[in-house]
Amino acid sequence: MSELQGLGAQLSEAEQAGVEIIAISPDPNERGQQLAEGLRLRYRFLADGDLAVARRYGLVHARGGPDGQDVPRPATVVLDRDGIVRWFSVAHNFQVRPAPGDVLRVVRSLRGEKG
Amino acid sequence: MTMSTWLAALSALVAIGAASAYVLLLGVAIVRNHPEGYVIGFALATGLAVLAVARARARRWPAWLALGFTSLVLVGGAWFNFVGARVPDTPTTFKVGDPAPDFTLPDASGRPVTLADYRGQKPVVLVFYRGYW
Repeated sequence: MSELQGLGAQLSEAEQAGVEIIAISPDPNERGQQLAEGLRLRYRFLADGDLAVARRYGLVHARGGPDGQDVPRPATVVLDRDGIVRWFSVAHNFQVRPAPGDVLRVVRSLRGEKG
Repeated sequence: MTMSTWLAALSALVAIGAASAYVLLLGVAIVRNHPEGYVIGFALATGLAVLAVARARARRWPAWLALGFTSLVLVGGAWFNFVGARVPDTPTTFKVGDPAPDFTLPDASGRPVTLADYRGQKPVVLVFYRGYW
């Protein structure tokens, strides 16, 4: 829930920027989607139950969970229209997220480009 | 109440307030991204409790109770922020300028979503998160 509030702070402005925001977590995503709809967020919640995608991106924190299970490293990755990585940020402390302003600056710069 | 008891109560309030403020304001980026703020709050609370103990005359237990509580919270909070919440810095498999690795994952209604389908459509922000916290 607190994670979603953090995401929500990012979305309120990013939503207007014509961008697809995809939230990926090992959690069952139905709950996340319900919460997001309650908060009126246009996220797509995708379930990465076995961390296959996190692993493909090199974003697994081995045994980082409270029960010693593998968890994703919190990360934000911005792709342009052609699917090229233009900016990313990986957390060094799982409480910390990139400043929404930093993410938005990148997204806005991509909006100005021809697709 | 004596000055010492007031200080003891204040120190406990500062410690609880620092933790509550952080949790309540998680949606505010500047608060969330400075978790050392609550550690500083806990240190301040411990300092107040030390003052309370120093000024205690007749009734000493409130001051000592406050000191025990706040120092426990300080050690716990500092450990959590500086050790427990650290994420090791291992290399990612992608870098700026490279195509993002493609994937297909189910969305909330079970429909598969493929990253490559957004190509030529619009920019995408991928947010990897732990599912709690």
